[in-house]
Amino acid sequence: MINGKIHTGIAGLDRMLHGGLVPHRPYIVSGPPGSGKTVLSMQFLLEGVQGGERCLFVALEEPPNEIKQNMRAFKWVADDVEMLDANSDIRRFEPTPVIEISTEVEPARLRDIDDRIRKTPDFESHEVTVHSLQQLLKTLFIKRRYDRVVIDSITALKYFCMREFEESLTTQSFMRFLAESRVTTVLTVELPEEGVAPPEAFLARGEIRLHKLRDESGIRRFISIEKYKGSSHDEFVYPFEIHSSGIAVQVAEAGKGPAA
Amino acid sequence: MDRVSTGVPGLDAMLGGGLIPARPYVVSGPTGAGKTILAMQFLAAGLAKGEAGLMVTLDEPPNEVKANVVAFGWNLDRLKILDATPDIKAHKRQRSVIDVGTTMDVRDMDQVGEIRQSSQIRAMEVSIHGVQKMLKQEFFQRQERTREKYKRIVVDSITALKMFSMGGEDSRIMIQSFMRFLSELEATTLLVSERLNPKILETEFFLCRGEIRFHKSLDGNVIRRAVSIEKFRGSRFDDRVRPMSITNSGVSVDAQGVVAMTGGRLAALGQEYLEQRMGEEVTTVIESVLKMVEDAHRMRMAVTDIEHAISRAMLQIQRRNYQKAMKAALHAQSVIRERLEKARQGPPPPPPPAAPPPPGVRR
Repeated sequence: MINGKIHTGIAGLDRMLHGGLVPHRPYIVSGPPGSGKTVLSMQFLLEGVQGGERCLFVALEEPPNEIKQNMRAFKWVADDVEMLDANSDIRRFEPTPVIEISTEVEPARLRDIDDRIRKTPDFESHEVTVHSLQQLLKTLFIKRRYDRVVIDSITALKYFCMREFEESLTTQSFMRFLAESRVTTVLTVELPEEGVAPPEAFLARGEIRLHKLRDESGIRRFISIEKYKGSSHDEFVYPFEIHSSGIAVQVAEAGKGPAA
Repeated sequence: MDRVSTGVPGLDAMLGGGLIPARPYVVSGPTGAGKTILAMQFLAAGLAKGEAGLMVTLDEPPNEVKANVVAFGWNLDRLKILDATPDIKAHKRQRSVIDVGTTMDVRDMDQVGEIRQSSQIRAMEVSIHGVQKMLKQEFFQRQERTREKYKRIVVDSITALKMFSMGGEDSRIMIQSFMRFLSELEATTLLVSERLNPKILETEFFLCRGEIRFHKSLDGNVIRRAVSIEKFRGSRFDDRVRPMSITNSGVSVDAQGVVAMTGGRLAALGQEYLEQRMGEEVTTVIESVLKMVEDAHRMRMAVTDIEHAISRAMLQIQRRNYQKAMKAALHAQSVIRERLEKARQGPPPPPPPAAPPPPGVRR
C-alpha cells in the first residue's frame, strides 16, 4: 500500500494512478464492447483474493458459468472470487407475478459455479431490479465485510433493471449507496464506439477509460485516467495489451516528456 | 475446448478454431455485405455434421432465402426454416392484428415454395415475444419428436425484430430476455444485425459474446469486402481486418491477407475522443491566459494584441482546429507571462499557471 492506496492488480495502471486506488470508493471503468473491461475488473478482484481479501463479482451481462469458462483462458487462480448472478431470467409476459431477486440469493464461489447455464424455472422467474439488487447488496454488506466489489455492468443495470425508475436519478442513488457502503467498487460502463460518454461516467470518484482503435496491425488498445478525485494521476493515454496473464499497460519511465 | 465451425475455414482460423458453443453471437455489417450468406453457411456446416439447424427469417420470406442460396450448392434440405416475416397489415378496424406466436410456420427447406399469402381475415404481427414463443415451441417439439436438439440457430435479423416490436426502453429488456432465452437453449446462435449508428449503444452488441463484422467499401468501381472480429469473450482471436470474398461456394476469408485501410474511416475511430480531450486542454490554457489578461488590466498594461490572439484561438476551437488553437493559445500565454514578469520587477512573480502538456499517445 502506498499512501493508503490499494493495488488494481495491474502494475502499469497502479503507476498511472500514482500508487493505486483510494479505498472505500466507487470507480468507473468505461470502454466500448470488447475493450477489456471485464478482464480488468477480474484482475482487480484477483489482486484482492491473493491478498486474502473478500471479493464479490456482480454479473449482470453474462451468466456466471460463461465467465468461469472465459477466465480459463487466463493463467489465474480466481476460485475464491464470489459471484453473484444478477442476470434476469427470461421475462414472462403472462400476468403471473415475477419474483424479484430476493435477499435469499447468495453469491457462490467461482469454483462452485456450474458449467451449464441456470435455467429459468417453469413457474416463476427471477427478475433483477435496481431496487432488489441494492437491497440484496445491503444485506450482504452487513453480513460480511467485502473489500472489493465489481458491478459488471452499470449499463446493464440501467438498461434492464430500471423499468419503472427514472434512469439517471436512480443510477446516481445507486452509486451513492455504494459510496456510503465504504466498499472499493469498480463499475463497468459500456460506451458506444463513437460519440459521447453516458452521464453515469460523471458520477464516480474516478474513471479509467479503455479505448479500442483499429489500424493495419489490428486492434490497438489504450488506457487513460479521465479523472481521479483526491489524487494526482497520469494525464497521458497509454497502450495496453491483453496477454494470458491479463492486461499489461506499457507505461514509459516517469518524468519523460510525452511523445505528441 | 470444443469449437463450433462457422463453415468458413478462414474465419475459423481468425476465431482461434471457431465459436465457443452454446452462446449468442452477432454478425454485423452494412446491407449486402454477406451476413445472411455467412449465416446460411454456418447452418449448412452444421447440417453436414448432423447438427440440426433452425433459420428464423424476418427480413425475407423463406422462398427468397431459398432462392438466394441455391447458387452455392449447399445441401439445406433438412434445414428448418421459421417464417416470421410479418403479414401485410390489415387496415380494417375490427380485425385485430394477431401475434405471430399463434400460427406456427416451420418447415423443411425443401418444402419451401411460394411466398406465404397474408391471411385474409387476420394479419400476423411480429413481436419479440411471439418469435420467442414460437422458437420455444419448435425447440421442444423437435426434442420430443426426434430426441435431438437444435444445435445451431440463426435469427435474421435482430434489427428487424427490434423494429417490428415496440421501441423505447422496453425493447432493451425484451432483447436482454430474448438473448437470455437463446443462451438457455444452449444452441450456438448467430444474430444478424445491421449496424445503424455507431454512436448508439445497441443492446445486442454488448450482450453478445462475440461480434463478427463485415466491411464493404468501394475502391474505384470494385467492391472490396473485409471481415474483422470485434469482440470474442473467452478466446484469443486475430484482431486484424482480413479480406473476404463471396465466391460460388459462399463466403471465403483469406486469414493471411492484408487489407489496405483506405478512406481512413476505420482508422478514424477514436478521433472524436482525442479531439474532445484536445479541446479541453486548449480551454485550460485559454483560461489561464484570460486570468493573466485580467491581472494586466489591473496593472494598466496594454494587452490588446493578446486579447486578439485569444479570440483567434477561440475561433479556431469553434472550427475544431485544435492544433492551431493550441499553438495560438500557448504563444499568447508565453508572451503575456513574459510581459507580466517584466512589469513586476522587484517582487517575485506569482507562479504562472503551468500549461498542461498537449495530449498525446506515449509509447
